[in-house]
Amino acid sequence: MAEVILRQLSKHFGSVEAVEDVTLRIPDGEFLVLLGPSGCGKSTILRLIAGLEDATAGEILIDGELINFKDPTKRNVAMVFQNYALYPHMTVYKNVAFPLETARMAKDDVAEAVQRAAEMLEIETLLKRLPEQLSGGQRQRVALARAIVRQPLVFLMDEPLSNLDAQLRLQTRLELMGLHERLGITTIYVTHDQVEAMTMGQRMAVMRDGRIQQMGQPTDVYDVPANTFVATFLGAPPMNLIAGSLVRDNGHVSFRCEGYELAIDPATAAIAPETLEEAIGEAQLGVRPEHLTLASLDDEGLPGVVRFLEPVGSDLFVSVNVNGQPVQVRMPPDTKVATGSDVRLAFDPARSHIFDADSQNLRS
Amino acid sequence: MAGDVTTDPTTLTEAPPPERDEAVAMAERLAAAGRAKRLSDRSRKILAYAILTLFVVIAIGPAFYLISPAFRDSVSLFTYPPEWIPSEPTLDNYRFLFSSTGYVRWAINTLIFAGCTTILTLVTNSMAGYAFARLRFPGRNVLFFVILATLMVPVAAVLAPTYLTVNFIGDLPIIGNWIDIDTYLGLILPSAVSPLGVFMMRQFIETLPDGLYEAARLDGAGEWRIFTKIVLPLIKPALVVLGIFVFMLTWASYLWPLVAATGNDYRVLTVGIASLKGQFVTDWGVLAAASLLTIVPVTIIFLFFQKWFVQASMAGALKQ
Amino acid sequence: MTTVDVPVHEAADDWTVPSLSDAEYRWRARRYRLRTVRRAAGFLSPYLVTWGVFLAIPVGWGIFLSFNRGGLIRGDPRVFVGFENWTRTVGDSELRTAVKNTGIYVVIAIVVVFALAIFLASLLNHYKKGSNFYKVALYFPLLAPPILGAIMWFFMVNFDFGILNLIKRTIIGGDGVRFLGDNPHALLTIVSVEVWRGLGFWVLFYLAGLQSVPEELQAAARIDGAGKWRRFRRITVPTLRPLLLFALVIAVIFNFQLFDSVQVLTDGGPRLGTATVVWFIHRRLFKFQDTGLAYASSIGLLIVVLVLTGLSFWLLGKRRQREA
Repeated sequence: MAEVILRQLSKHFGSVEAVEDVTLRIPDGEFLVLLGPSGCGKSTILRLIAGLEDATAGEILIDGELINFKDPTKRNVAMVFQNYALYPHMTVYKNVAFPLETARMAKDDVAEAVQRAAEMLEIETLLKRLPEQLSGGQRQRVALARAIVRQPLVFLMDEPLSNLDAQLRLQTRLELMGLHERLGITTIYVTHDQVEAMTMGQRMAVMRDGRIQQMGQPTDVYDVPANTFVATFLGAPPMNLIAGSLVRDNGHVSFRCEGYELAIDPATAAIAPETLEEAIGEAQLGVRPEHLTLASLDDEGLPGVVRFLEPVGSDLFVSVNVNGQPVQVRMPPDTKVATGSDVRLAFDPARSHIFDADSQNLRS
Repeated sequence: MAGDVTTDPTTLTEAPPPERDEAVAMAERLAAAGRAKRLSDRSRKILAYAILTLFVVIAIGPAFYLISPAFRDSVSLFTYPPEWIPSEPTLDNYRFLFSSTGYVRWAINTLIFAGCTTILTLVTNSMAGYAFARLRFPGRNVLFFVILATLMVPVAAVLAPTYLTVNFIGDLPIIGNWIDIDTYLGLILPSAVSPLGVFMMRQFIETLPDGLYEAARLDGAGEWRIFTKIVLPLIKPALVVLGIFVFMLTWASYLWPLVAATGNDYRVLTVGIASLKGQFVTDWGVLAAASLLTIVPVTIIFLFFQKWFVQASMAGALKQ
Repeated sequence: MTTVDVPVHEAADDWTVPSLSDAEYRWRARRYRLRTVRRAAGFLSPYLVTWGVFLAIPVGWGIFLSFNRGGLIRGDPRVFVGFENWTRTVGDSELRTAVKNTGIYVVIAIVVVFALAIFLASLLNHYKKGSNFYKVALYFPLLAPPILGAIMWFFMVNFDFGILNLIKRTIIGGDGVRFLGDNPHALLTIVSVEVWRGLGFWVLFYLAGLQSVPEELQAAARIDGAGKWRRFRRITVPTLRPLLLFALVIAVIFNFQLFDSVQVLTDGGPRLGTATVVWFIHRRLFKFQDTGLAYASSIGLLIVVLVLTGLSFWLLGKRRQREA
């Protein structure tokens, strides 16, 4: 039960900035997901909180206490590792009991606590086995049991589901959420899987190159990505980006590409009209596949030619060539369209985004 | 295919006569060649096993050659033609060995010497190996390199200064009672310095997944608890190999015990048995009896644990 | 870059806990890092103390001693003599003989043992049936301490009842051979004893090397119709070559220290015919009381071994690089 604060946290490995100037406040009981591609520094943040790495600069506070200079053995945070890191020579019981025995808890209390954790994770029948006799999913549960058994202040999870098959992943995801609901322990969950991030996180932080790109509730981040990286990292298929430019015409700023122009209403822009002026120049228009529809040639929209059709059962993904760039459109599966046909792509301007030359989103 | 035709004559019956003769001839030639090849293969095999057996006889023969002299009167050794099976087998040599030489004492000393050296080496080397493998501290690589540089330092090259060092410590108050020439510790400590084990342990501990170590730290375990509860159980095979290696090397050592344990009280088997071979006169029967008595138990232990032994002997050379 | 007000960072200044000052932060970080040094010291000290007192200090002391004479036993005071010992090493005929003998011994022993070991290892690699028995049996001589091996051979080569002489007298007739009493028989006998002792080890060593040759490679070569000799040259030799160099250096280091069997079988005789470097050092130190020369030759031995050790590390490093 604890609030975790990271204040201007940095970790450099030689000249590599693994984590750079990260500031985060994780309220007590929150489930926060750190999302990003591999090497973005998300795992390093976990390891810094755990004390497995020493920060180059910045502070880590748990419940208001500075823990930078506290040994990991005394921080009372629990971590679930990607490969579970079970002690191979100990039985499941011994594995789960290890942190308690380390804390010199009385034998009976240990047995009771292990029993409770085992029940919660439904591994009572496995207690006498060795890790090598367990399936991946069972090892996962043992690792979780070992983490919860001593009621840590903070839960750190480093891609705990990535070694499970798809079916099990789905199931365990739900169980993890249930577990968090029941225990209410502040949890920081690292993943590169956007589905996990979207479904599990109360909030999520998208990271790249050691920096936080965007922080917020998953749906907010999805709906209003802060920049092109977040826009394309979230969503499958990712947001379409169409190159063009910002121009000023009669005092109105608008996005223009070949065969199409979209006026920008200063009221919905993320920045003040004066600064909007500075963004004049190269820009990209971003629209998610599900917000595009195929329209007839008479309608307003981006002109393009249908190249490929990808029926996936629930949807039909249509790949349309717009000004030489592929644009994905999600349509209902029964849509009638032929490759090679000329189409227009219609969309609601309110659900589109304009990214300036620095890739920043100008919409809010 | 040509090969099928020649090896299976039945398929040839339908072939035209002239070709058939040719084919049959060819098949016969090939069959003959095959027989010759098989024959030469077999004789090669016999030859190979004969050679191997010869070397086995040479390897273990000398030990068997001790049996007869050990159970008879030395004088009867010198009869010609030789009398292989003693007409009057006797245990006199053993009686003499136990009553008039320090054999029992030497054997006990050897066990203490080799046993303590092994335990000490295992303890210090696994701890140091752990530090080099897992702990980060400034100067780690330099220190490791300096230690490793002494890997091959021969006993002979430091014989005099080591002797002097032990002598010097022997002159110190209190500690000198324990460590001196003609003490167990004076014998043991200089035999437990080789960095080979540190190197082996480091290599082995490095192969353990980092995650285990990190998980244990987050579980609240300090270094000592991680070392004893996680690392040591997991490197047990390496410890056994190192233990056997050190034990074998120590109990067989000769030069340092020769110098460091001059009195009968601390003399070990190798030095003791060598002393049975007199400068001018040798009691052959007693010498044979002592040697035989010494190798038999080792051989029995070896036959039980041969796999470990072989690994241990390779450890010295290949584990590097 | 950030012209957009997106909630990337949360304002740090409205939090209640004050930040540490830079100096305080650095000081505490350093103190925290030092804890690893304390821990490492705890784990290292048992070995470091033993190693330091009984190996590192003696090495240094030995180097110093090589410029001295005496001081080993009571009543023989140590005298600093500068480079005298070193200049004497060049002229001393006994040392020269010892070095020469050691050299001869090392060369013959290694050539013979390596040739036999590679031969037997390839036999065992080819004829796998019962190979375990042969491996175990060949390994046997290593079980006995060198001293005991030498004593076994002491019986084998005895003039009166040694089996070698019995065979010789029965088959060829005439007198027996004084295996330990004549030159160069004595040195050759010692070589044989050491070959006998070391053979098992090197057979296993090369067998391990041979077995690291992928079976498919051998099979492929057989299918390609490569003859036995060709296969040996094209596949076996290249696999063993890196091993061979490393083994050579190791073998030189070990064999250079020949002492035990010399001491027990011949005590350097006859007429220094089996005197070796280590035998010379031991004799000068503890029997002959001419310590100066022994001190210097100890360090000479040390230098040779250290150079060879460096060489072996270098070879290993090269092998690792190739494997990587």
